[in-house]
Amino acid sequence: MAGVARAGGDGGGSSNELQWCFSQVKGAIDEDVAEADIISTVEFNYSGDLLATGDKGGRVVIFQREQESKTRPLSRGEYNVYSTFQSHEPEFDYLKSLEIEEKINKIRWLPQQNAAHFLLSTNDKTIKLWKISERDKRAEGYNLKDEDGRLRDPVRIKELRVPTLKPMDLMVEASPRRIFANAHTYHINSISVNSDYATYLSADDLRINLWHLEITNRSFNIVDIKPANMEELTEVITAAEFHPQQCNVFVYSSSKGTIRLCDMRSSALCDRHSKFFEEPEDPSSRSFFSEIISSISDVKFSHNGRYMMTRDYLSVKVWDLNMENRPVETYQVHEYLRSKLCSLYENDCIFDKFECCWNGLDSTIMTGSYNNFFRMFDRNTRRDTTLEASRESSKSRAILKPRKVCTGGKRKKDEISVDSLDFNKKILHTAWHPTENFIAVAATNNLYLFQDKIN
Amino acid sequence: MLGRGLKRKLSDYEENMAGLSSAFDSSRSLPYPLKRQLVLNMCLTKLQTYKMLVEPNLHRSVLIANTVRQIQEEMRQESNQQPVNICPGITPSSHSYPGMESSGISLQLPSGISQQESSCCDLRSVEDPIENSLLIVSDDDMSSAISSILKDLDFVEDISPPTCLVPSGDDQPKFPENTGLKLEDDRQDLKGAECVFGSFEISNSTSYLKDLAIDDIFEDIDTSMYDSDFCCPPLMPPRSPSLATEEPLKTFPSCNSSSASNIQICRTDLSELDHIMEILVGS
Repeated sequence: MAGVARAGGDGGGSSNELQWCFSQVKGAIDEDVAEADIISTVEFNYSGDLLATGDKGGRVVIFQREQESKTRPLSRGEYNVYSTFQSHEPEFDYLKSLEIEEKINKIRWLPQQNAAHFLLSTNDKTIKLWKISERDKRAEGYNLKDEDGRLRDPVRIKELRVPTLKPMDLMVEASPRRIFANAHTYHINSISVNSDYATYLSADDLRINLWHLEITNRSFNIVDIKPANMEELTEVITAAEFHPQQCNVFVYSSSKGTIRLCDMRSSALCDRHSKFFEEPEDPSSRSFFSEIISSISDVKFSHNGRYMMTRDYLSVKVWDLNMENRPVETYQVHEYLRSKLCSLYENDCIFDKFECCWNGLDSTIMTGSYNNFFRMFDRNTRRDTTLEASRESSKSRAILKPRKVCTGGKRKKDEISVDSLDFNKKILHTAWHPTENFIAVAATNNLYLFQDKIN
Repeated sequence: MLGRGLKRKLSDYEENMAGLSSAFDSSRSLPYPLKRQLVLNMCLTKLQTYKMLVEPNLHRSVLIANTVRQIQEEMRQESNQQPVNICPGITPSSHSYPGMESSGISLQLPSGISQQESSCCDLRSVEDPIENSLLIVSDDDMSSAISSILKDLDFVEDISPPTCLVPSGDDQPKFPENTGLKLEDDRQDLKGAECVFGSFEISNSTSYLKDLAIDDIFEDIDTSMYDSDFCCPPLMPPRSPSLATEEPLKTFPSCNSSSASNIQICRTDLSELDHIMEILVGS
């Protein structure tokens, strides 16, 4: 897996195979996992210096990379907690007598334009723009207040002074700058910031809205697939994303395994797509569950904007934006589950929504699986790896051993059989640093950070 | 089958289901119709469970409903094709009667009828009548299960008024200014929608239960207050609470016009009310 060129390196004489080693793990070790601590989204910012996670309890935790140490120039910095705040609270909709979950469904960073950092976080109904800013100075020498804050009697003030700024311990503050509410009847599944850095979209099961970051009391509805008669509903929107360079283009995926690319210049309401991506079904693999497993759980553009990747239950597909009738690449994530679909349907695992991500060079793609396994596919060499996020292999710089699932016949040593997989340990959310070989993998309530091995 | 990590559920039914789904996955000898029936049962069970929830998951409901429809369609096609297998003389055109096929009735063309008579469309069943009635019942169940859950999702979920955007060809994007901002209008729209649905929900069993729950909760309150809020004329005259338990069938349309919050409260008592309903209807 070709990654980033090593600093000062000539590529070495060793193989190009990338090896991953453990860097850090965040989160409690207890066996008893509190529901609120389950991580529900992971996202690096544009520079990769900040890593945000959202959880089911509505909290956002931001990790910041420490500056690289001068004594060991090749060592990567550690990520430590930078800010923690409660983004969303549980709400009760009195009109419909429904509880609105505080779970953070998605976090998306805005590109940094000044000293402060901005991110969008959303639950099922409301999107919030948060400003995270540092304060490392405070003013001293107020005229009307004492040092301890007590008001001074104005009569006693004989002379005016200019307050001075003195350094203080770094404080990171998060404040909600905009609240975008009341625009979604159904549950929000995606948000995506436009390349114009002024607008963003939010998508729920049936509609997609376009917002301006400065305006909270209005949004444009740009896609509406709700039928006049709900009984005719056969398809829902599952994910949506703006093109990374073309600010008029976005895609949305559906529960029927199709992707529609829309151009906002063609009409105000983008119910008619510009491109329609669908792979014809393979009749030999048809089953009762074919439609359910074709439902796309995530769609991501490549960084270069020429491809997009979709994740359905059993596979990841790479599509060329210029070819609508089939994907250019298909990778099987856990094909051994195809013969277990009925059981997975029975216990609802078949509805799990796995995400996927690209590396910075668009040469490798990564997605999660069960048993805390996650998979990487090198698009150039066509080699794939299965790794595990576990406490057992969490020693500093320990190299991760590739895992293998035994699909039948004799189980070799170190292989795990399909029947022994733990389907409660699912890796749904992963993120790849924008420029380096550094990944974040969310395993229930723990966040694992892995980096490539340094010779 | 699903290993050490998966918690076993307590109920016997669910344990049996787990056993059955393992059998589905592992057994090659399970006959196809049985597999299909198993999947169908699982789907209907899930849809029933979702109906009990205050807010069913729309994505899952749609996927399951599509699976049920697919199986339903397959079963219909099979029952249409069977007479062809039995008597090859019947022409293909004889088993498509668009006007006659209503949801819930599986058409069975009789065997042994000569080619000339086949176009008369005798709807007698050739299959074992018990099996056929089972097919018919399940078809009804499926259709009503799908319809009712999707309809419920509609008037429960959607309070936003229809968008005022002009479709394609419009250069200026229009502002849906009233999207979700005017709660008063939404409430009126919701009640309007409910009035429409109220008259069509004949097969929706939850409407019986809404009726009952309101009686239980508001037994000593004069319900004429609720009746007068409606934006559309009630389909039935407002009834007094004391009659409600005796005439559930007549009173549910007016009941449907009551506020959404009552309906939500009713949902949580569905299992008890289901039981009460059974006793009252004597089924």
